[in-house]
Amino acid sequence: MRRAACYWLAFASLLPAQSVTYDRLVHALSEQQNWLTYWGDYTAVRYRDLKQINISNVKDLRVDWIYQTGQSGSFEAVPLVVDGVMYLTGPNGYAYALDARSGRQLWLYKHAFPPGRKADGVNRGLAILGDRLFMVTPDANVVSLDARTGRLVWQTEMAPYNNGQYTATLAPVVVKDKVIVGISGAEFGIRGFIDAYDAATGKRVWRFWTVPQKGEPGGDTWLGDSWTRGGGSTWMTGTYDPQLNTLYWGVGNPGPDLDGKVRKGDNLYTCSLVALDPDNGKLKWHFQFTPHDTHDWDAAETPMLLDLRWKGRDRKLVVEANRNAFFYVLDRETGEFLMGKPFARQNWATELDAKGRPMLMPNQEPSPEGTRLCPGLAGGTNFMAPSYNPETRLFYFTVREQCDVYYTNPPVYIQGRPYWGSVSRGITEEPEWGLLKALDPLTGESKWDFRYFHAPWAGTLSTAGGLVFAGDQDGYVMAFDARTGKNLWRLNTGNPIVNSPMTYVVNGRQYVTMPSGSAVLTFALPE
Amino acid sequence: MKLTRIALIVYCVSGLGGQTGQDLADGKATFRSNCAFCHGLVGGGGRGPALNLGRFLHGSTDEDIKNVVTRGVPGTTMPSFELEKDELAHLITYVRSLSGSGPAHDTARVSGDSESGRKVYERSGCPGCHRIGSEGSVFGPDLTRIGAGRSAEYVRESIINPSADISEDYVGVTVVTRSGKRITGVRINEDTFTVQLRDTSQTFQMFQKDEVQQVIPETKSLMPAYGSLPQKDLQNLLAYLDTLRGVLNAGAGVKKEKGIR
Repeated sequence: MRRAACYWLAFASLLPAQSVTYDRLVHALSEQQNWLTYWGDYTAVRYRDLKQINISNVKDLRVDWIYQTGQSGSFEAVPLVVDGVMYLTGPNGYAYALDARSGRQLWLYKHAFPPGRKADGVNRGLAILGDRLFMVTPDANVVSLDARTGRLVWQTEMAPYNNGQYTATLAPVVVKDKVIVGISGAEFGIRGFIDAYDAATGKRVWRFWTVPQKGEPGGDTWLGDSWTRGGGSTWMTGTYDPQLNTLYWGVGNPGPDLDGKVRKGDNLYTCSLVALDPDNGKLKWHFQFTPHDTHDWDAAETPMLLDLRWKGRDRKLVVEANRNAFFYVLDRETGEFLMGKPFARQNWATELDAKGRPMLMPNQEPSPEGTRLCPGLAGGTNFMAPSYNPETRLFYFTVREQCDVYYTNPPVYIQGRPYWGSVSRGITEEPEWGLLKALDPLTGESKWDFRYFHAPWAGTLSTAGGLVFAGDQDGYVMAFDARTGKNLWRLNTGNPIVNSPMTYVVNGRQYVTMPSGSAVLTFALPE
Repeated sequence: MKLTRIALIVYCVSGLGGQTGQDLADGKATFRSNCAFCHGLVGGGGRGPALNLGRFLHGSTDEDIKNVVTRGVPGTTMPSFELEKDELAHLITYVRSLSGSGPAHDTARVSGDSESGRKVYERSGCPGCHRIGSEGSVFGPDLTRIGAGRSAEYVRESIINPSADISEDYVGVTVVTRSGKRITGVRINEDTFTVQLRDTSQTFQMFQKDEVQQVIPETKSLMPAYGSLPQKDLQNLLAYLDTLRGVLNAGAGVKKEKGIR
């Protein structure tokens, strides 16, 4: 017994502090100092029980360090922080490890693109298991890196390059011994999927096609062979419930985006949330937010997992502010629709029926002459992360108030070329704006709004300090009083923020990081 | 098999024969969703110049038009567009097909006495807000190449009813300071927390929103309407403005050093 204890002690001292077991990922929220997954944990609440920075002292928050890549292209990644080390990806196949206290670089990885491939594209971050990191690349590869050196461990092609038709942008998620990733390219006529790879070897374990073929359940929701180019990207990271052993993943738009005539039908499982068994990729249930979408309102928004008392009963819920401008509450055990309410201007659906299916207004289809519709192509919200504060019991997210004119024209499919079916255009006479919205997820009602001058692409973070951190399109990173919506602190970073803030602790000091442009900006209180 | 061969022959023949009706339709669709917003639904012009005159400001060969579309025109509001090669070709086919529909080349100029129009321009106080070459104020839009950049119909409407279409770059804003002073100008920039404007004395005015009483977006143009201008004066003024086809940012041209080998 004593010997065993000694053995474990010796072994533990050999294990690098930054080694992350699956158990640590399951209990990520008990490591408030760290940020172990893209969402900060598996449920995507993006809340930290940290209050060193709080409503009374946040006015003194200042830039503590800046890391500049010296590369073109903007950060869209949320960093991981593991025991004092920050890991993040830049665009164009780069990954970085930094000292989370000083911003000094520990290593840099640059993906090797074969000649002739486009080497540019955004990336949203990393996943970690043990001392291995995982990322995807603009040419649709999954790579595993040694977290200690940044050296390549394995690399697996998710799909043939096909002249740039397939690409990948998301941060992977690790469940048990598998790395789970999605694909991008619904604008190029792909057939989407979610893949799981063996973390140790890079071998593919399963694939879930987001567009069923003829004869499979849902295959009859596609006209003719339109399913072969049906889109259904899976370009944002899913969430996971270890107890239910269920993975929740948003599926993107059908293709061609703006021309629905060639793909008549509901077009399953596009614009849906799918619940999968992470061991084998089998579908447990699905919920389609926008059947037969023709406005690019994909369901890539965050499926946040909350356990709340719903109408007198404790229920396991999944909540999502969807791009189609409705806020949804579903039962995450069964997929049952519980509530759906609009949170932004919309003129496409009169209401949702008892099962959550939208009842369409007339004249909402794109047309050759152009159809004005709200929300615009970018949606009422988008991939930017929401957060939930269990003390205020509010859901904080970014609203884009902007309408578009949607045009359509039958597209021709050519491999590697955009397969949009025409375009959308902003309306210059109608100013856009944005909101930071604090919403009660039990009712769908707003508690407060803070208005941004432009519609942003940045998400939120909530802390026990009574704060909501956010960013906007004019480059401000900001802190708000979570109860009142009062702006308490701001700093102009000089670049539109296309990202979501995160927080961590090293040596007892709390930091807040918000990458902006090609710089990682980290804030702290004066020492 | 036979069908395929026939299809192939039709394809080749149509290829030899140049553009097809489908090409033209594709070009029209591209034009409507990308170009019509500024150049008018059938190329009659608007915020952008007319494209139905059979002549183009930046050269009339296919290559010239391609360059304008794919690179934009620096110093103007013409942006660059990313189009596939065949999309671009179909677009040019369509734009060329518009040429017959506009006024003939020689009659394209606006009628009227441009010299009298110049006097109307000065007498009416236009230089107080507008600039031509190196003369006048930078408060309002620069008119150095207005004759090239806008259709005559658009300019006429802008004079009679300036609020009909306000360029994004010239939206007005009024700031009410804490002392109650009102400062109106052209909005240069506005974000959630600040606003910067250019006032009528051509001076930057910059504010933090939490330090002022109110920031009021102007829904009407800051330019007064000249609807009462006599018809003849208006026509002469339009004729004068039509002659303004100079180069914006004339100082940007590189002066070549002589004598260096």
